[in-house]
Amino acid sequence: MMREHKEQRRKAQAGTEQMRTMKAMERKLQHAGRKHAGLYLFCNFMALMIVSAYAALMFSPTVQTVFPPGGDSRKQMNMIFVMTLFGCVVFTLYASALFFRHKSRQLGILMALGASRSRLFPGLFREVILLSSISCAVGIIAGFPFVWLIWSVFRLFLVDSAEMALHFNMNCLFVSLLFWLLVTGFACMGAWRYVRKTNIMEVIREEHINEPVKELGKWCGPVGFLLIFIGAVSGYGAPGFWMKVMSAYAPAWLGILYAPVFIGLYMVMLHTVVNGWGNWPGMPNRKKNPYKNIISRSMMKFQGKQTVNNLIIVTILVAGACFAIFYLPTLSSSALLEYESRAYDYFYEYRPNQNVPDKDAVEALADMYGLTLKDWETCEYITVGAGGNTMVEEADGKHFHMVYESIGSELVLLSEESYERLTGETVNIAPGTYFAVTNQSEASVYTNESAGHLTNMTTRKQIETGFAGYLHDDLLAGKYMLSVISNEDYALLAEGLSDEWRGVMVRFNTDGKDSYEFARDLYHRFVASLDESCEISVLYDRVCKIMAEEAGEEYWGDSDPMMRISYEEMDSNNFRMTWRYQPKFRILDKNDFLVTMAVFFMMFLFIFIVCLMTALVVCYTRCQTIAMNNRYIFDDLKKLGASPAFLEKEVRCQCGNVFRIPALVGMAAMYFYYGMILYANDGRIVFSEVIGLGVCMGILFLIGLLFFLIYRATVRSLKRILQIGSQDSK
Amino acid sequence: MLYVKNLYKSYETGKIKYPVLKGIDFHVEKGEFVAVMGPSGSGKTTLLNCISCYIPFEEGEITLGGKSLAGQKEEGLAKIRNEKLGFVFQDFMLLDGLTIRENILVPRIIQGEVSADAEALADELVSLFGIGHIMNKYPAEISGGEKQRAAVARSLMNRPLMILADEPTGNLDSKSSRAVIEAFGSAREKMKATIFMVTHDSFAASFCDRVILFKDGNIYRQLEHSGSRREFQDELLQVIKEMSDQEVDV
Repeated sequence: MMREHKEQRRKAQAGTEQMRTMKAMERKLQHAGRKHAGLYLFCNFMALMIVSAYAALMFSPTVQTVFPPGGDSRKQMNMIFVMTLFGCVVFTLYASALFFRHKSRQLGILMALGASRSRLFPGLFREVILLSSISCAVGIIAGFPFVWLIWSVFRLFLVDSAEMALHFNMNCLFVSLLFWLLVTGFACMGAWRYVRKTNIMEVIREEHINEPVKELGKWCGPVGFLLIFIGAVSGYGAPGFWMKVMSAYAPAWLGILYAPVFIGLYMVMLHTVVNGWGNWPGMPNRKKNPYKNIISRSMMKFQGKQTVNNLIIVTILVAGACFAIFYLPTLSSSALLEYESRAYDYFYEYRPNQNVPDKDAVEALADMYGLTLKDWETCEYITVGAGGNTMVEEADGKHFHMVYESIGSELVLLSEESYERLTGETVNIAPGTYFAVTNQSEASVYTNESAGHLTNMTTRKQIETGFAGYLHDDLLAGKYMLSVISNEDYALLAEGLSDEWRGVMVRFNTDGKDSYEFARDLYHRFVASLDESCEISVLYDRVCKIMAEEAGEEYWGDSDPMMRISYEEMDSNNFRMTWRYQPKFRILDKNDFLVTMAVFFMMFLFIFIVCLMTALVVCYTRCQTIAMNNRYIFDDLKKLGASPAFLEKEVRCQCGNVFRIPALVGMAAMYFYYGMILYANDGRIVFSEVIGLGVCMGILFLIGLLFFLIYRATVRSLKRILQIGSQDSK
Repeated sequence: MLYVKNLYKSYETGKIKYPVLKGIDFHVEKGEFVAVMGPSGSGKTTLLNCISCYIPFEEGEITLGGKSLAGQKEEGLAKIRNEKLGFVFQDFMLLDGLTIRENILVPRIIQGEVSADAEALADELVSLFGIGHIMNKYPAEISGGEKQRAAVARSLMNRPLMILADEPTGNLDSKSSRAVIEAFGSAREKMKATIFMVTHDSFAASFCDRVILFKDGNIYRQLEHSGSRREFQDELLQVIKEMSDQEVDV
């Protein structure tokens, strides 16, 4: 003890000898305030690491090649990135405000003793820029190993494929550097704001100045929930409504309709801080014990601004995490249920002019794998030009109108006889009508209900037709527009049609247990047997191309990068999702599902981890701040005779609000929003979506459990900091 | 030394304006030890903050050493705070990260580089106020009385025209209070310091040459020290009692 004291004195003397200038004094004060600076460094480091890791993955060629440009998944990824950025910006702002609150006493004392702004500015800016730069630089650098580590863990324990190989595009550094500038800029602005204050006593007392929020009535919370609901429904529904009513593309400013969500969120969090939940007038709890939790509620209320900001960030991050993770079960459940619902194990199609393995070759291959095939069936189909309502853009590029075109797009046609042979279902179709094939839940978007004409694209012979209803088959539906017509109409249209517009469909089962190796071998042989005329995307419409060229226009599909696919990537997600002749082999699709979707899944899993981690860090930091800021209140309560149990209850109550409310609101809001999206897709929730939502509910339970565990750990940590229950032993 | 003429200051809360100082006039001579007393809310600390240039005032004039504070720019006010004034606060306002000796040197560091003379003065001050044994300790390691004596030493570091003390004994026990008041006495005697102190403590005020009593933003009465300290304290208590009785009657 004595030696320690001497050492401290020696250090102090050494310090004094050197401390002759303002710079030396500032250095010493910075050293003394390293605990608070540490919190600031930690917050910035976390924010930058998360932002740079997210940006690194988002901009990586690994993700860029797999996520289709303009696709929903990419929009989803970008949207959550913006949400995370927003969260990180507010988080770093909070960190810098906290840093200056602690710094303000020191600044105030120096100002009171006669230090002018010009004397304080250089040192303060130096410190702020140094701290921001160090934390940001280390955060950015750490972002890369962080994302690499998580990705490697995914590859090692979950799924690995050639597509999963992680490459970085250094353009992502622009986002990180911008964020760095933003953080440093905000910190400098904070420093400027403090030093510019004219009331010195205010600066000195800043640390203990409360930030009470304006009290609103008890209606605040419920109205907030209502606004969240209104915002979500109107924001999501507005673009569709606008297109329908205005016959125009929805303008970007329509996104403002989401604004009530954020206002509502603010009101809910404000209500949480000011009034708390479960304390309604007239409620038994309130009547029985009107002073329940009054201390912890008051503590929250008097640091209301910071608390509300934090709760909102956490809510947004939890919602972002849920939005990302929900993608996995909803997509998986619908895909896996679709595989199961197929009536046959194997289905493929080809043009008759292609040299694909015939029945004997396939059976011989199956024999090599010890398999016997059964239920083999083949039938012809034709592709024609079908009429339909087409959206025609007007000169202003904003409005459009619907026009019926008698030759609008490709339509694959089966005769009623072929359909019966393929599916075993007897259908009776009157000449001059057609039935669109959809899946059992009628959720397929690839159906044409407006065709009035069908045209042989070789002879241009045209017949009139009309939509008569739907046929349901999960094997045939869901890839492109397929309809069934009467045998008579089929014969009329097929007459004189060249081979490039004809096709053959094949389906069969294996007798007994199936083999993945056989399916994979057959798939590879099948792809290898087709020539380059079949190397096209399912979205490539030859009828549209002919009509465009006849009108003297260029077909968009010839230049759009989305249309590019290659046989060389036959095992990639993009190829299997978009190839026009992609076969449906149940065992192959099931086994390869995770591998082909790996990059999608892992990206969304990564986003989930990042958002959740950020949310938990914000909650933990907030609770630590509560302990630091309110330490004197806990000390006073101890002096007033509060028992450790009472103090622990107050700590639990504070932390509970920080963890519980944003987690619950974020999870519930996103569950509702996701359910709404699923419902809005086709006006109902189909069975696979119910299963998906059920799994999502399970995930929410796990997230809740994680929050609970971190909450418990935080309470333990706060009890240590506040020395609750430790006095006896000391 | 210090002239305060017709000083007005008010605070605004929303749209309501609360006048705190309602035309204050007084002066303090060089070498004088003057206290301001009065009930809470009477305007004592606001007056001190105006003289300290911590907050701006609306009307009137404050002249320190012949220089008017009104119209001074921020740099000028900082210079006055650093060179012409010394401060002692109720809660000491020592910088936690610096030793006592370093804290005492802070006003000189703000002024410029610390010279050997300044270090000698610091050593002289710590010895004068009996805090030599703690000069290399940190504020967290010493008592309240020692902290306040260190603050008195700091206030003298730039040999100011006047020391402004805001409730210097407010956070101290009677023994420490006495030590701090004695430190002021030493400062006055050895350093020829002029002291202007705001206090609630009649014991501390009884050491002063003069006590200005404040009530509702006005000067209620000024009492000159005559006779023994004990008699002066009794006189002070009597006047405070009268002031309180009037309030009750009203």
